Amino acid sequence: MSTAVISPARPEQILKGLSKLWTSLGEEEKQQGKPTVLRACAMTLIVATDEADEGFEASQTISELMREHPSRGIVVAVSDKAESEPQARVLAQCWKPFGKAQQICCEQIEIKARSESWANLGPILLALTAADLPVVFWSRHSAALSEKSTVEQQRGLDTLLNLASKTVVDSRGLDPKLAFERIAKWRGEGRVIADLEWTRLTPWREPLGHIFDNPARENKFSQFHTIEIGHPGDKPTAQELYMAAWLSAPYKAQVEFKRVESFGSGLHSIVLRADNETITFERTGCECLRIWSTNGRERRFNYVDAKPETLMNEELSIIGHDPAFELAFERARELAR
Amino acid sequence: MSVLDQAPPEINPLQDPLRFARRVPPCAIVIFGASGDLSRRKLLPSLYRLFYERRISQNFAVIGSSRTPMSDEQFREKMRESVSKFLEDAPFDEDVWKSFAQTLFYVPGDMNKPESYEDIRKKLDEVEKSHQTAGNVLFYLSTQPSYYAEAVLALGEHHLNKGNGWRRIIIEKPFGHDLASAQKLNEEIHKVFAESEVYRIDHYLGKETVQNILAFRFGNSMFEPLWNRRYVDHVQITAAESIGVEGRGAYYQEAGALRDMIQNHLSQVMATVAMEPPSVFDAENVRDERAKLLRAVRVMKPEDVPKYSVPGQYGPGYVAGQLLPGFREEPSVSPDAQTDTYAAVTFFIDNWRWAGVPFYIRSGKRMPKRVTDIAIQFKAPPLGLFQQETKTGPREVRPNILVVRIQPEEGISLRFLSKSPGSGMRVRPVSMDFNYGSSFGERSPTAYETLLVDAMVGDPTLYTRQDMVNASWQIVQPILDVWANTKFDFPNYAAGTWGPKASDEMLARQGHVWRIP
Repeated sequence: MSTAVISPARPEQILKGLSKLWTSLGEEEKQQGKPTVLRACAMTLIVATDEADEGFEASQTISELMREHPSRGIVVAVSDKAESEPQARVLAQCWKPFGKAQQICCEQIEIKARSESWANLGPILLALTAADLPVVFWSRHSAALSEKSTVEQQRGLDTLLNLASKTVVDSRGLDPKLAFERIAKWRGEGRVIADLEWTRLTPWREPLGHIFDNPARENKFSQFHTIEIGHPGDKPTAQELYMAAWLSAPYKAQVEFKRVESFGSGLHSIVLRADNETITFERTGCECLRIWSTNGRERRFNYVDAKPETLMNEELSIIGHDPAFELAFERARELAR
Repeated sequence: MSVLDQAPPEINPLQDPLRFARRVPPCAIVIFGASGDLSRRKLLPSLYRLFYERRISQNFAVIGSSRTPMSDEQFREKMRESVSKFLEDAPFDEDVWKSFAQTLFYVPGDMNKPESYEDIRKKLDEVEKSHQTAGNVLFYLSTQPSYYAEAVLALGEHHLNKGNGWRRIIIEKPFGHDLASAQKLNEEIHKVFAESEVYRIDHYLGKETVQNILAFRFGNSMFEPLWNRRYVDHVQITAAESIGVEGRGAYYQEAGALRDMIQNHLSQVMATVAMEPPSVFDAENVRDERAKLLRAVRVMKPEDVPKYSVPGQYGPGYVAGQLLPGFREEPSVSPDAQTDTYAAVTFFIDNWRWAGVPFYIRSGKRMPKRVTDIAIQFKAPPLGLFQQETKTGPREVRPNILVVRIQPEEGISLRFLSKSPGSGMRVRPVSMDFNYGSSFGERSPTAYETLLVDAMVGDPTLYTRQDMVNASWQIVQPILDVWANTKFDFPNYAAGTWGPKASDEMLARQGHVWRIP
């Protein structure tokens, strides 16, 4: 269910649109004579994008996310095809949980704006955030970590950063050194930042981490003195640096990067070396990971490049500081220098 | 080298509890009473769901055992029917079932016969190899309670309590039928298993909302300052069922509502509501506080029992236009049964925080609806500014009530007064609601899912400890003793009503009334 386009986008009109939306959903309840709709909101999720689809994929993704993280979703699509004045549309995303009689509905707002008006959206967004709940800003805008961003773009981004309790960026495909410097600057300003390149490492980190849960294990993690990271690109990416950082931060193990052939982009392999044991974790195919040790143990895992909604689901579960990322980030910066 | 000179064990620096799922070790689960109701309705659906969500190890197997002769295939087929029927809030996936079914095995046997245990041992050895369960075994006693001690001793005699991995045992309620039998059962179990290996299950403690009571109380700063005798007038805990005994007449006739609900589930809920904050959130500290609270509950003198407790039994009554039979007309129930299908008790907790605050607990069958909740009723404001005169005197101003809903819709509501729109200062109660479904999109795990994973991981926080069981028997024992020696004029409430009049009178004596949940 959605409203007509609200143009120009003004907070009062948008909020009125939301109110109408709920009134019309309420009409359905009246007809049925029992509560059929439950309004759900645990946070505001703002997505800014300058992708060519004018926010279509971002909208789809946040509607997927709402099932796990009910929120007021706001998609800001920045496009030169947009009208001179920002326009908005409000809609409800509803679904019926399995076995339940009531639908759960979340509200979504889509705003289209030109890049020159982006910086002026701050007051609108400020008025649209759900009161007293966390605000998560997910930047899918190319200017976020780019050195080429214009002053206007930076102002637009700063507006959103100032609203957010947590900001999610993605350094995939970018120069890690530059991306890390930008993230470090924001972190230095006291902001909580997450990088989806770190989130993509969870399927690698989790099985590795669990190896050392066993207190009876002969070689403790501190005994692995060398870490080798296999990467397919010319230089290690942010993801590969994060992995090296995570593994080397606790005991300052020696890190070696090695260029290797792989089955796609991204981290290819990790080798942990102790005096009497080597653990190797590597991609053995497009969709397969293998972890094995010279002590004879081996396991295989399916591997898929996680979709954005999977990565964001994980990030939205952590509102606040993420000590493991923060520790690894500082070390990754050192390694990138 | 002394212990003090040894280096402390290295903590895994790669742990990331914010992102990594809790690791559940490989294990085999042996379910005694596998063809019974609990297995079909709760255990297998929960294990299937855990398997579906990959929340248990891939190296996992279930060995069901009961007297019914069945092959592995027949057991799998029987469980497939049950799981597809009783799975809660989740779809059944035929492909996942096929994989799950490969982890199910069946050993027919009589628990009185030694060869049954030898057959189980052989099957355990098999699955340890075929499913790489690492020798870890979780026994689940889902049999008739009268078999518990015998089964545990037999496990010991056949050395099934020791092996290559850990051994744990889950014991279903009722844990004894009175204080003496509970203590005796504990003694027998401890001959075979250490207390740290014994997991006495109380599925109420596994419910999300019950766990959330601790988060609500100790994770927020605004409620705990009010959580005491200065601000709380009284507490009502209600566990009502709309159904009758549903074919369990013979069992229920011996148990009754006080034993079946209040001694275990509801006394543990009361302990969770009223306990002191633990210094650390870990299994022993949380359980210490629960146990301490139960020990602080005033044990009634025989002469106080009629004043602070009310038994009830439903008679015939109309529900939705249909005449339902009374308890005594139910199959397998004696026509002059003295069983309490309803029990209401007033408890007082003799500690600094709760002195003088009544905790009213009621549980009954054939009530108007199925509901379990906890209501904390706060004291009225010191001055009735908005009380209005009526012909019969000042109108009652409804106090604030905080309701924790355990089932069916899990959540928390706070009732407070608000001005009605329009001229004049008329106030009426309104409600502020938190609903699990609308704040957390994800499906809440069922209590059995939570508790089974906890037992596999070795986390006993939500399981009851021996001293907790003893303490909860201690507080109901005087009531059981007096009721056992009294002939009640049953039935005393009609099916489809909120219980006997005497229960209302019990509260009226303290100036209170039961809420209608």
